[in-house]
Amino acid sequence: MKRTRKSQTVTMTTVTGPTTTTTITDGRQCVQVQVNTLSSITTPVCLPPVSLSVCRQCVQVQTVCPGAGEHPLQYNYTFWYSRRTPSRPASSQSYEQNIRQIGTVASVEQFWRFYSHLVRPGDLSGHSDFHLFKEGIKPMWEDESNRSGGKWIIRLRKGLASRFWENIILAMLGEQFMVGEEICGAVVSIRFQEDILSIWNRTSNDQMTTSRIRDTLRRVLNLPTNTIMEYKTHNDSLRDNSSFRNTKISL
Amino acid sequence: MSSSRQYSESRAIPTRTVLINDTTQLPHDYCTTPGGTLFSTTPGGTRIIYDRKFLLDRRNSPIAQTPPAHLPVIPGVTSQNVLRENKKNEANNHINNHDGKPTNGNIYGAVRCDKNVTPPV
Repeated sequence: MKRTRKSQTVTMTTVTGPTTTTTITDGRQCVQVQVNTLSSITTPVCLPPVSLSVCRQCVQVQTVCPGAGEHPLQYNYTFWYSRRTPSRPASSQSYEQNIRQIGTVASVEQFWRFYSHLVRPGDLSGHSDFHLFKEGIKPMWEDESNRSGGKWIIRLRKGLASRFWENIILAMLGEQFMVGEEICGAVVSIRFQEDILSIWNRTSNDQMTTSRIRDTLRRVLNLPTNTIMEYKTHNDSLRDNSSFRNTKISL
Repeated sequence: MSSSRQYSESRAIPTRTVLINDTTQLPHDYCTTPGGTLFSTTPGGTRIIYDRKFLLDRRNSPIAQTPPAHLPVIPGVTSQNVLRENKKNEANNHINNHDGKPTNGNIYGAVRCDKNVTPPV
C-alpha cells in the first residue's frame, strides 16, 4: 500500500531571519527559527507529524520536541506549580500571578526528567498545587479550553496524594482515558486535612465523556467501589469562586 | 481432497475459573489490551498509548536521569538531585499511612500528617 505524505504549509508571518529544518526520526520536523523579538531568543518551533489528528486549529505549534530516541507523547504537557499563603484571599488576578510554569515535556523521558526533580506532592507544604496540563492550556477556569469544561474531584486522606498523583498522570500521559481531545489536565491540591485530585475536561455537559473519565479513573486509581466522586463545572467554580465546594456528587 | 482423514483429538479450550467476591480483586490487567488501554477500540483514530508499566520502565533510562534544562529553582518543590528517596517512600507507604520522610528545614509551617491512622485497606 503506497502511503503519500500530505504536504503541510505553515505561514509564520512574524518570523525573520535564518531557519534550519531538521527531521527527527519519527517524522516530526523541528524548525529552529531566529525570531527578532525584543528579547531575541531562538525558539525551537516544532511541527506536529502529519498523520496526527489532534487539533481543531490548523496547526498546533509546539515549543518542545521529543529528542532522538525518546518516546513521544500524544500531546505536549506543561508542569505548573501554585501556592497560596492562607492569609491572602483568592481572586482571579492573584491566582494568575501565583501559578508558574515549571517546564514542558514532549516525550516520556522528558517527563521523567522533570518528575524526578520535583518534590512529591505528599511532601509539599502549605496550600500548594501541582498541575499537569496540555501545552497551551492554562490551569485556569478562564482559559479558552476550560470555559465550557469541568472537573472530576477525588478527595484523599493524607498520605495518599503522591501515589495517586503519579498514577493519574501516568494514565493521562499514556492516553488511557480515550475521550479524544477532551482531557485538559490534572491537578493535585494539598490542603489542610485532605488532598484533592482533579482531572479537567473540555466539555462539562458531554455525559459520555464525563462518564468515561469517571470509569477510567476508578480503574487506573483502583478506587474502592464506594468512593465518592464529584464533578464541578468551571462555570460553577467561577460563580462561587471556589474549586471544591458545591460539587455534584456521583456515586 | 485427501481420501484418508485423521481426526485429531478434540479437547475443550483450557480455562481457569477464579472466584472473586469484589471488583477490587480483579487483576490489574483485566480487560486490557497488552500495552494498551482498558478499551477495546481507539475511537478517533490511532493514538500514542503507553501503559503504566511501560512508562515506569522508561524512568531508569539514562536520558531520563539528567536534570532538565532551565529547571526553575523553587525551594521545597524542585530539586537539582534526582529524588531517589521516592523509591524508599513508596515502600514506606505500604507499611504506614503517611510519607515517612521527616520534614527538615520546613520554613512554611508544619506539614499535617495523621499519626493515628489505620493502615490502608
